Order: sequence, then C-alpha cells, then structure tokens
Amino acid sequence: MGRLRISDLPRLARRHPLVIAGGGLLALLIILALTAPLYAGDPVNMDPFKRLQPPSAEMWFGSDNLGRDVFARTIFGARISLMVGLLSAASAAMVGLLIGVIAGYSRSFDNVVMRVMDGLMSIPTILLAIALISLTGPGIGILIVAIAIPETPAVARLVRSVVLGVRERPYVEAALCGGARLPKVLWRHILPSTIPALMVQGATVCASAILTEAGLSFLGVGVPPEIPSWGNMIAISRLYLSIAPLTIFAPGICLAVTVLAVNLLGDGLRDLFDPRAKRRR
Amino acid sequence: MTITRRDLIKAGVAAGTALSMPSVLRAQPSPDDARTVRMVMSDLTVFDPIRSTADITRMHGFAIYDTLFALDSKLAPQPQMVENWDVSEDRKSYTFELRDGLNYHDGSPVTAADCVASIRRWAQVDAGGKLIMARARDISKKDEKTFTIALKEPLGILVDALVEGLYLPIMRQKDADRPATEPVTSNIGSGPFIFNEALAKPGASFTYDCNEKYVPRQERPDGFAGAKVVKVDSVIWQNIADQQTALAALQAGETDFVLEPPADLYPVIESDPDLELQVLSKGGSTLYVRMNFLQPPFHNVKARQAMLHLIDQEAFLGVMHPDPRYTQTVTSIFANSPLYSNDENTEWFKKGGDPEKARQLFQEAGYAGEKIIILQPTDWAAGSNASQLLAASLRKIGVSAELAPMSWSELAARRANKGSIEDGGWNIFIADYSIANPISAAFLRANGNEAWFGWPKNDDYEALRAKWADVDTLAERQALARKMQGIWWDFVGGVFLGHAVQPTAHRKALTGLLEVPGAYGFPMWNMQKTS
Amino acid sequence: MAAYILRRVVSTIAVMAVVGIFIFLLLRLAPGDPATIIAGREATAEMIAGIRERLGLNEPLPVQFVHWALGILGGDFGNSIFTGRPVLQLISRRLEPTISLSILTMILSVSVGVSFGILAAWRSGGLVDRFLAAFSALGYSVPVFVIGYFLIYFFAIKMHWLPVQGYVPIDGGLGPWFVHLVLPTVALSLGYIAFIARVTRASMLEVLSEDYMRTAAAKGASSYAMLFHHALKNAGVPILTVIGISFAYLIGGVVLTETVFNIPGIGRLVVDAINNRDYPIIQSVLILTSGLYVLINLTVDLAYTLINPRIRY
Repeated sequence: MGRLRISDLPRLARRHPLVIAGGGLLALLIILALTAPLYAGDPVNMDPFKRLQPPSAEMWFGSDNLGRDVFARTIFGARISLMVGLLSAASAAMVGLLIGVIAGYSRSFDNVVMRVMDGLMSIPTILLAIALISLTGPGIGILIVAIAIPETPAVARLVRSVVLGVRERPYVEAALCGGARLPKVLWRHILPSTIPALMVQGATVCASAILTEAGLSFLGVGVPPEIPSWGNMIAISRLYLSIAPLTIFAPGICLAVTVLAVNLLGDGLRDLFDPRAKRRR
Repeated sequence: MTITRRDLIKAGVAAGTALSMPSVLRAQPSPDDARTVRMVMSDLTVFDPIRSTADITRMHGFAIYDTLFALDSKLAPQPQMVENWDVSEDRKSYTFELRDGLNYHDGSPVTAADCVASIRRWAQVDAGGKLIMARARDISKKDEKTFTIALKEPLGILVDALVEGLYLPIMRQKDADRPATEPVTSNIGSGPFIFNEALAKPGASFTYDCNEKYVPRQERPDGFAGAKVVKVDSVIWQNIADQQTALAALQAGETDFVLEPPADLYPVIESDPDLELQVLSKGGSTLYVRMNFLQPPFHNVKARQAMLHLIDQEAFLGVMHPDPRYTQTVTSIFANSPLYSNDENTEWFKKGGDPEKARQLFQEAGYAGEKIIILQPTDWAAGSNASQLLAASLRKIGVSAELAPMSWSELAARRANKGSIEDGGWNIFIADYSIANPISAAFLRANGNEAWFGWPKNDDYEALRAKWADVDTLAERQALARKMQGIWWDFVGGVFLGHAVQPTAHRKALTGLLEVPGAYGFPMWNMQKTS
Repeated sequence: MAAYILRRVVSTIAVMAVVGIFIFLLLRLAPGDPATIIAGREATAEMIAGIRERLGLNEPLPVQFVHWALGILGGDFGNSIFTGRPVLQLISRRLEPTISLSILTMILSVSVGVSFGILAAWRSGGLVDRFLAAFSALGYSVPVFVIGYFLIYFFAIKMHWLPVQGYVPIDGGLGPWFVHLVLPTVALSLGYIAFIARVTRASMLEVLSEDYMRTAAAKGASSYAMLFHHALKNAGVPILTVIGISFAYLIGGVVLTETVFNIPGIGRLVVDAINNRDYPIIQSVLILTSGLYVLINLTVDLAYTLINPRIRY
C-alpha cells in the first residue's frame, strides 16, 4: 500500500460510492448541526400548555411532553450525538495511535503495553460508563472518556501491526541507516501509513459511540436530561409512541441515519485502503 | 394422576411435534391463574414499615401485619385488632383489649406484650408516637389480651395518632424489641397475607399468600377498616421498571394491575375494553417546591415570595400530571383536606404566574445573579419535569438556575447538606406530601434546625402548631388551621406546584379493589378475579 | 503446544491483573470517597471514619489492592451498599436469566450469521449478498431497545404470539422458559447476526481467492465440498475470534435488552444499582464480565490450534 495522494481522491471516490454516500451524508449532518441556531429555533424553551402537539407550521415535528419543539431538539441533538461520536473516536484514535506506535517500535514496551490493552479491551463499554457515571454523575465529558477507554485498545493493536509491518520496509530501514533521526522517520514514513487503518477504525468507534450514548441515555445515565440528545429524546418519548410518534421517530431515524452514514463511510474507506478487499468486489 | 399443562408442554417439546409455532408458544394462562393476582408495583427494598415512608413499604405492612385501629372511608379511626377500648374519666388512662383469634403466621398468639413492644418501637420514629411517649407515664400490659396507656396529662388525639402517620405494625415481641434503627427482617406478622420467603426475588418479584387462618372482623370493609377477607390464593408483586413494558404486559393480560400508569397514556387505557382506571388512594398528594432557608437568596423572605408569584400551578401540573381530571391547584397548606383546607392569606398570590412581580421581588431581595442549584430527581418523572420547568421559568426572569441531575436516593443524601453551594449544598428541590395533620407532616414544621430539609424557622407559627395536640373540638382545630396558614404564607415555608391523585390501571376481570382515604397506598384484601 | 498453552495462560493471568488494577484504581481515584458512598445518606462523620478503618482505606494503596484482590480470589466481593447482602449472592441469583439469554443469542447469531455469511460469499454480489449488505446496515444502526419495542408491539401486543415480558426459570418448564426468551433473543441477535455474517463473508472470500482453493475448484471439487470442507475450515479462525471479541458487546446489549423485556438478570441488577449508587455491585459485575471475556478469548485462542493446526505461535 503506497501513500495516498490528495489528487487521487476524486478518482478513488468515484470507484467507491460508499465513501461518497457515507461521507457526504455525514458532512451534511455536520453542517446541519453546526448551523442549527440559524434555522432550528429554541430547543429548550418549554410551553406546558402545548404538550405533545401534532406537527404544525411553527413546530415542524410537533412538541414533546414538556411542550418543546421536537424539530429543534432533533437538530440540536445531532450536535450532541456527533460530538460524542467524533470526540470519542478522536480521543480513542489519538491515544491508540500513540500507544500503538510506541508498542510497535519498542520491543520492551510492547509486551507490557499490549497486555494492558488486552485488559482494557475486556471491559464492556456500557458497564464501564455506568461505573464511571455512578461515581461522578452524568455529563458529556465523562461519557466520552468512558466510551473512548475500551475502544482505544483496538486502535492501538491496529496501529501496532501497521508499524510492525512498515518498519521492516526497505525505505524505512534505509532512512534510518542514512542517519535520519527516529522522530522524523516516525513522522515522515510511519505515521502516514497508519492513517488508513485509523480512519477505518475511527468510523467504527464513532458509530458505536453514538449508539452507546443512546443506550446510556435510555438507561438514564447518559447526558443530563435537560440536554437534547437523541438518546434522551428516545428514552423520554418511548411512552408516546402511540400518541405522538414523531417525538420518537424523529430522533430514532436521525440516529439510525447518522450511524448508517458513519458505517458506510467506514466500509467505503476500508475498501478504498485495502487492495485485497477491492479485488474481492 | 392429573396431567398438568407443564407436562404437556414438556412432552410436546421433547417429541418435537410439528404443531404450528404460534399455538405451541402462545402465552396461555396457567390453571391457577384465576386465583393469582399479578400486580406491577414499584421495587420493594425496605421491609420494615417503620424504616421507610415509601408507599410500597407501607403496603407490604398492610399485607402482612395487622394493626390496632384503622381509618374508615370517612377518615375516622375504627378498632381493628382491638375489641374494646376505654378511656378513664380524667382522660389520662386508656385501656385496650385485643379481640379473639389473632395469631402470627408462625402459629403463636398475639399478646398484649407484643402490642406494647410494637408501640414503643414505632413511637421512636413516628411524630405522633413521639408525642404519645412524651405525654405517657406508663405503657404496659394488664393481662395476655389487655394493655394500658397512662398519661401525665390528657392527649385528645391519642387514638388518631395510632392510625395517622407511619403504619403501626403489631409484631412479635422478639422482633419489636429490636432497636428502631435496626430493620426487622423476619416478615412475620398476624395480617391477612403471608409473605412467601421462598418465592421472594428482590428486584424482580415478591409473593404474598392468603393467610387462611386469619379471622376477619364482622363489619363490612370500609376504607382500611372492617373485615379483611382475602379472596385470592396469592398476589405477586412484579417490579417492571420500564413503564412502556408494564402497560404492554397489562394489555396482553400478563399482569392484572399497574400501580402508576403514565398520565399521557390514560386515553390508551380507557380505549381498551379490558382495562380501566381507578383511583384507590383518594387523598392524592401535593407537590411543592422546598427552598433552603439557610442559604442566599432564599434566606430572604422576598425571594421566597417571588417564587409564590412566579409559579403558575396549571403550567406545572401540565408537565407533572397532564390529565386535568385528576389534578387541581391548591393554595391552602392543608391542601384539599375536607376538614382544614381554607383560604386564609392567599388572595395576594393566588394565581401565580406573574414573572414581572417575581423579577422585582428577587431584586428587592438583593439577588445579584448568583447560581441557584435545583436538585433534579431523574428517576421520578413528575419531579424531574417540574425541576426542568422551574429552571426554565427562573432563567426567563434572569435568575441563573442550574439543574443538578441525580437519582432520588442521591437527592435524599444531598438535601441534608446545610452548607453553601460551594460546599455541595443546594437551593431548591421538589417533593410531595399528603396532609394528615400538622404533627405528622414533616413539611409543615418550621422549627429551624429541627425542621425538615430546608429548615424554615418561625416561632409564632411553631407556637400555634404546638397547640394542635390539645385542642379538642373540630371548630377549634379549624380556627387554629386558619391562623397557622395565615402566618405560613407570610414567611412562605414552601410553594405549591399543584395537587394530584394517581389513578391505578387494572384489567376489568380484577374486581373489588378497595378505595381508601389518604395517599399512602391501599390494601389488597377484598379483591378477586372474575372470569 | 503445551508450551504455547502455558504461555497463553500466563499472559491471561497478566491481563486479569491489569483489569483488576484498573478497576481498583477507578474506585480509588475517581472523585467521591468510597467510604462516604458506602456509609449511605444518613451517615455521621464517625460512621464514615469507622468504615474507612474497616475497609483499610487508610493504608497505602498497594496494600489496599492486595487485600482487595485476595478477597476477590477468595470469593469475597464485599456487600451491597443498599441491601447489605453479599454481592456474590446477589449476582449468583441473577445469573440464570442472563446466561440463558446470552447462550440463546450466541446460538442464534452464530448459526444464522455464519450460514448467512457463507451464502453471501458463495454467490458474491448475488441476491443474498445484497440482502446481507442492507440487513447489516440496518442491524448495526438501529439500537437494540428500539428493535425490542417494535418486536413487543408486533408479536406480543398485536399478534398475541409471545409474552411481552418476564422470565420463567428453566426448572419452571422448558416451554415457558423458551417462550419468554424468544423476543429478547431475537432483538439482541440482529446486530450480532449482521456482525458475524459480515466477518464470515469477508473471511470466506479471502480464503476462496487463495490459490489452493482455485486448485481445488480446477480439480472439480463440488461447491459444497469447497465451501464447507476447505473454505470454512480455514475461515474458522477469524470467525471464532470475532465471536470471542463480540462477547464484550453482547454484555452491553444484555443490559439494555433485560431492561426492555423486564428480565431479572445481571443487567437489571446493574441498572437498579445505578440509582442506589450501589458501587460494589457495579464494580463486581465489571470485574466478573471482564474475567469471563478474558476466559472466553483464552478458550477461543486455544480452539484455534484445534480448528487449524497450521497455526503455530
């Protein structure tokens, strides 16, 4: 696998509709979420006299059990879900990258670090999050930490295997023999090779983080109930399935679509970066 | 030998018969279903009735323990375990004689000594009990079936105190001799139901079997009083945490009763021909905002008055109990009590929902934008919703309210903190109460550090409250109630959010459920299943 | 081979030590004093000091860790804060429903997932393959509790085929036991079926493109023999690996599924423990599930050598 050039991207993307579909959808969702204040209205304003209203011109998806605008909450909910997903993925990727590179490069650390990673991997995410939150109380920060910890080992393992493969390559050995300093070799030759694996794994982590947030909020230990997140909205609205279906369908469908977009992107990237997978198609 | 359905299913599965899947798998009622009632209740974690004020613990007490007196549907105490009772001329000596046929589930008879020990244990915790003990010279047994209470000075409400407040369970002396701080774990009483230890699954389900040896009174059942006749073999309490699942189980006939169906789904229940709603605890409860009198800004009466003007009860009822058929606004500190509810000193704030007036009063109180912490109980929907609406209403008038989400048990721990916000203290929490009398209602105390969380202090009010135990006629008590309320609304000991009764839902095949006064649960005798 | 097994077992012990240290530190380093949490809401300063003393919280951290770890090895997981009962007893009473649900889910997911994956790989790009792509996209993206409510609504309330909720112990009859577990198992399995099917498909495709498979095909081996005799045997390793790994995810799903279907298992125990801040229960379930995960993966690793003797470490 050679290095990826920017100029290759459009051509590769044409051959990989999944990347376009997933990435495009995700980009659209991110833009919608970021520009929410421009068009979506107030997600926290309550009107107890307008509870569980059907969709109308002023409230496109109707209102929830506290008389809040379901459309605004759904749009603002995207911010929470995407933030939890992306930040969890980013933290797992950064920490995993660091650990993976060190483990891949230093034989002496490898054994110890990888045992630690095996250990963390064995802790179920939801249980770890429940344990952390039962100590600290609900919050977005702690949620991200709790999701990122068990996901880090998978990233570290992947990066380590890539590093192990790359460092035997002639051009890396040549660079090292030629007197290049180790950090420079890591930066120039080894790090870029880990990016594809990181992106694919990052997408997986992101998707599972979004679902985990929803699951924890469903159990009442996710983000605080005041904050509009899709998990919170589904958890509260499950009672109203028969009387105000949009209160649960809107966040539910957005959740599924977002996770789908991230998964498609991940699958697309995997095909794109893995020539063997391409051959199979 | 009879072949049970279970044998058939086993045989069917073992033989791998080619029956169509639905008919094999369909959830069919088992033969004993007609005599077994399944009820979705909340989780029972405290079994000793004097160790918790939770309704579920009280109902556990109703089932397995009998008691001396019980309230009828008109809130009048009637003898239950007591056959005859008598008070001396000087009103200082009470004599109680137990009726015949009272036995514990282990077969031993109920004695006067058990009653004395049970009263002493209960009185360590209950407010009315404490009052009795403060006045009592002696409580002792006279013979196996008779005991006496001798007082230093008369106490008009003695018998009322035995039925109001915490449930008074009569238990074996060896259980009742334990300190009140140590929970009783044996679950053996003399009540109409027997707790089935073998089938107890904490967190999941508890089973109560009919006590066939129980001898009921002759009178018709009336409220909690009268004959306690159990008409089923057993009652199973199921703990289904998910309300949606609980209602689905009721619709499918997997359970017969749901304690607290969500108000928004009443129309769904009412449109189902097999289900109906019924209010069993007629008293209902009043939700209120409690402010911390020790910390700014609510140490200032103006800030508390601001809350009275701010809160629009109809709006809060909308997010707490959204069905107006079961709610009402309330301005009297005696809520909807038929005896004591009044309108003294309520005209000035009556409607509430006046944010401008509230903003102005907050300013007069010297409020300068400090953070106000509202404890939000996330596992109690009505309280959680009301907390959110309160925070939103405060923010609209420029008060920087902040929600601290936590479970009710965490809230119960945190509200005991008298310190400042920086030291983990609090400003506001929301709770509910059901008025019995100003002696037992913790909410209605205003004796500073001795008072309930929030610690309101007003000596004039307390002086009036102390008289309650000694006024004898209803008219005098009603006059006292007006005076107390007059002072209460001047210092604003708390602010009401509204009053609601909670209907239960059950399958129509379950009949004979007793409607009782008060708000703290209902008995399970008299009900039966018709098919 | 014996040396390999020994090495794997030793490294498993090392991993468990890591898990133990991590979970121990989680309790000690997170904000909130465990003694205050354990003492409960009506605790006085003396009670808290007494609990600190009794739990040995005044001793140096390493000493505390050794005490704690020895306790767990001896089967002492401490007492529940809320009920005061031994945690191990509470957990063991909740094991049966959770194990039943997990095993049924594994059986369903592996059997359906693997066959699905094989079919999709066999006719890559065909109808089954496309259906799998759509199915797995859905299975991955819809939360298990949403699937659960849908199943209850349709199969229990509308059709009356299956019970809405609850659990009947296996000694209450195999029929009722199974009937109550059908919907939870299906709800929980959809995601795993998708997962296992995709991994199976990918592994099978990889093996099918190997030279020796082409040789076998050229020699006229039947497609049945190709798929099951040659390919599946070689694709078995990655499939087994993901089944081992997915156990950790399964536990998360079990917590949610037990809540939706009101199954009194470990998941409900944990969820109820959250509201009471019953930390010993959460901590014990955490270490037990991690231990189980590590054990399962050890078994899977050892099973490699049996399935595919070519692997030597």
